[in-house]
Amino acid sequence: MDRRTFIRLTAVSGATTAVGACSVPSESLIRFVPDEDVVPGLSVWTPGVCTLCGAGCGLTVRLMDADADVLRDGQKGVKRTLAAKKLEGHAEHPVNHGRLCARGQAGIQVTYHPDRITQPLKRAGERGTGRYEAIDWEEALADLAKRLDAVRATARPGRLAWFGRAGAGHRDALVLAFVRRLGGSGPIAFDVFGDEVLRRANAQSFGRHQLPTLDLVQARYVISCGADFLGTWNSPVAHSLGYGAMRQGRRGIRGAFVQVESRMTQTGANADEWLPANPGTEGALALGLAHVIMARGAARAGVAGRAGAQIEECADGLPSFNPEAVSGLTGVSAKRIERLATELIDNRPSVVIVSGPPLAHTNGLFTALAVNALNALIGAVEQPSGLFFTPQANVAAMAKLDAIGQAPADILPMHAFVAERLADAASTPELLIVDGANPVFSAPPAWRLRASLLRVPTIVSVGAFLDETSALADLILPDHSFLESWTDAMPESGASTGVISVAAPAMRPLHNTKSTVDVLREVSAKLQPPLEWPWQTHEEFLMASIGTLPPTEKDGDGWSEVQMRGGWWGDLPPTLRRASSLSDETSGGSRAGSARGAAVPSPRQLERFTTPQFDGDSTAFPLYFLPAVSPVFLDGSLAHLPWLQELPDPLTSAMWSAWVELNPDTAQGLGIRDGDVVRVTSAHGWVEAAAILSLGIAPTLVAMPAGQGHTTYTRYASGRGANPFTILAAVTEETTGALAWAATRVKIEHVSGPDGRLVLFAGGQRAHGASDYPPHR
Amino acid sequence: MPKWGMAADLDTCTGCGACVTACHAENNISTVGPDQAARGRAKHWIRVERYWEGTFPDVRVKFRPVMCQQCDQAPCEPVCPTYASHHTENGLNAQVYNRCIGTRYCANACPYNARFFDFFNPSWDKPLHLQLNPDVSLREVGVMEKCTFCVQRIKAATSAAKAEDRPIEDGDVTTACAQACPANALVFGDLNDPESRVSRLARSARGTRLLEDLGTQPNVTYLSRQTV
Repeated sequence: MDRRTFIRLTAVSGATTAVGACSVPSESLIRFVPDEDVVPGLSVWTPGVCTLCGAGCGLTVRLMDADADVLRDGQKGVKRTLAAKKLEGHAEHPVNHGRLCARGQAGIQVTYHPDRITQPLKRAGERGTGRYEAIDWEEALADLAKRLDAVRATARPGRLAWFGRAGAGHRDALVLAFVRRLGGSGPIAFDVFGDEVLRRANAQSFGRHQLPTLDLVQARYVISCGADFLGTWNSPVAHSLGYGAMRQGRRGIRGAFVQVESRMTQTGANADEWLPANPGTEGALALGLAHVIMARGAARAGVAGRAGAQIEECADGLPSFNPEAVSGLTGVSAKRIERLATELIDNRPSVVIVSGPPLAHTNGLFTALAVNALNALIGAVEQPSGLFFTPQANVAAMAKLDAIGQAPADILPMHAFVAERLADAASTPELLIVDGANPVFSAPPAWRLRASLLRVPTIVSVGAFLDETSALADLILPDHSFLESWTDAMPESGASTGVISVAAPAMRPLHNTKSTVDVLREVSAKLQPPLEWPWQTHEEFLMASIGTLPPTEKDGDGWSEVQMRGGWWGDLPPTLRRASSLSDETSGGSRAGSARGAAVPSPRQLERFTTPQFDGDSTAFPLYFLPAVSPVFLDGSLAHLPWLQELPDPLTSAMWSAWVELNPDTAQGLGIRDGDVVRVTSAHGWVEAAAILSLGIAPTLVAMPAGQGHTTYTRYASGRGANPFTILAAVTEETTGALAWAATRVKIEHVSGPDGRLVLFAGGQRAHGASDYPPHR
Repeated sequence: MPKWGMAADLDTCTGCGACVTACHAENNISTVGPDQAARGRAKHWIRVERYWEGTFPDVRVKFRPVMCQQCDQAPCEPVCPTYASHHTENGLNAQVYNRCIGTRYCANACPYNARFFDFFNPSWDKPLHLQLNPDVSLREVGVMEKCTFCVQRIKAATSAAKAEDRPIEDGDVTTACAQACPANALVFGDLNDPESRVSRLARSARGTRLLEDLGTQPNVTYLSRQTV
């Protein structure tokens, strides 16, 4: 028998050959006929969309033939299929221009994760025990339809709730419309490190409820207050590209960069000048700079326009924020404040950025408004080198979902949901759908979220993994991975034109999963009476919506082009923009003038600085606690990917570990040495982790990166390290109500010497037991 | 005949680690897990080093991505008893895995800690094995591995250029790390082409080579971090 005949004979379709002769199941694999034309050894490249964060970067997916284990009709087999081999940045994408961050590179492991949920499941044990039995899709969808019908029968608003992420793409718009049509509230978005405070401030200052894009390419001087714009915040790849050009992209000009923060981030590590200020006083610092600029006569208060007019005393030159007064508040010397202000105004084009811990205090909104006023004063708003707002498409209008009825304001923050909905049984939703979000992991304990969710009669999860939140589900309808389904994203920032990243499925689903868009469509048809949608498939939905945009090439067929390019980008027609931009609203040459528009919230009164409030008595809990965004896991949602677990942290080289950072002086006073196990206690609980002594943290502060400490989140993250959110106080920002996650006080105690829980890649400190196994290096 | 080299601009490197993950993805580097990592057995062909200067609050950090420096006078090569570690015509320090008998002399000789020993056979929890790059061989237990400058990409680009009967041009081939680098800090190319980006950077006044005084003649140029 020649090889060709052999292959033909072994390639049998379906489960037609019962392999009774083989007693060992692993040896009874059947080779299924390939579903597509696969040329062995040849790569195919196809566009993709990265969905791991909100940046919406474009991907190029490398596909090659591979043997995938599959299950068909209960029969194990292998199938030659096109499988993704590598994710790379999309060279022409206007956000990431061919580049891709570490998290995006590791995104391929989401698809191939060994602990993915491979088929629909129904709870078989007590809630939260993680015991499930397999069901088929027919049964799962019928079950969901039945439960939704029951919910629909009760005429109470808010009976259906959806936990998702705050996105603005087509899938998000569809979810919003679906929930709304069934009388639900939400979706309820919870991102503990989210940017709600900044968006709100931008709406108030500039009329844009949106994250800014920074034009660093042309900047000569940048001050960032806590913003990790090169690491985790906003659109880090787009901003890293701009940063590289700012430093070395111009002959003879090298942009300078100052970072104001109390605990060094990866971004702060790149600063020319690193400047710790007292937590929660960054707004005062910004006004101090504005004071000096106005006192020098370098800019008039009127230039700051609407953003400045909201700040008390701004019109009079901010007399209360003279350098001496600001120095007393911030701990930054008056001389330095004057120098920074001078450099900021003399080295224009310059820009000030704010995000992260400064906005996670009780006075966070003021801090953002103060920085906005400073930016307006130095002429950095909607100007080259400054910050601007990426045009946003109105997906609801494009997809004609607004006819069905929805409003973006319907996105309910989690803290409001907890206070208004979960507080008593009468208002608790009857059905909760969890869509990949994991608030049980990241919510502060005082919200008692898990206990409250246990009272919700039905929880359905459409996520691909079992985590702390989805483990409470009664029914699990696993979604495809982002490489297996139609995907789209609308970048909120990072580009100068309107962008919608769109990609067709790069590969066939590995498992018996179903796209959530298809689940919604199919279950809509099963409802009594059915919900009608104006399209039949996910592709039709996207095609109908994106077809309303002008073709990117003359005489082009819009939809095929969009598929080939991996998205649509260009000038958005004004009718399909979500909100008018600032430059549309200001007339003639006066920049940052009085912006108008009904959607803009009007300031209640003049904003004034208030002292940040902290949870915990300063004698019992002498240190500030900072749960930091993890450079690899973000808020913990990526802790399940082994490449990211083994990626050394940029500033400590820690891998597979949780740790606590503290200043060597603080540590010495408490008898703590590098690597010792310490206990961090707040008024709400304690966590234990290894200590890392860092030069880049204020002596008044204890920081702990988020991400580890999962109880349920795949084999790679479960039971590893400790979770800083479990000791967080439920303090909120006083105007927006957003969680003030940097407003908890703690104490720290020595527990024991190093016990091996801290794994570092770099030399210096070796973990316990290392002498038994001397490293080869 | 090209001579491959790299330039790393320390003024733009942000320490993000995109290069590290890109290298894992391209070169089938297995993760070893926390226990083995604690024993110093984690493998990162490229790593980002950090150097702290000053004391709080006047602190500076400098990042430095370090990979095999592909030295012209490589200390790892003459110590290898089996010629597993050898020099190629176009300037690479190549490693022939199936010649390697695991003496680890090369790792001892390398001043850059750029070589990693496979203490056990790699394994991938299924279906993570589907991500493996078929262009790169897997290394089994007892073998030394290190950065290859993505030799599989060099080979593919060279063949493609040859098929089109033209010389290989600047930009035809780049390594996975340089391709991913969000800040454009890593540049790969032919040092024999005086007009290539890497050549121009290698001639920069800011250019230095790592541990140059050891006489290893590395082919990686570091452009120093500037201060204000």
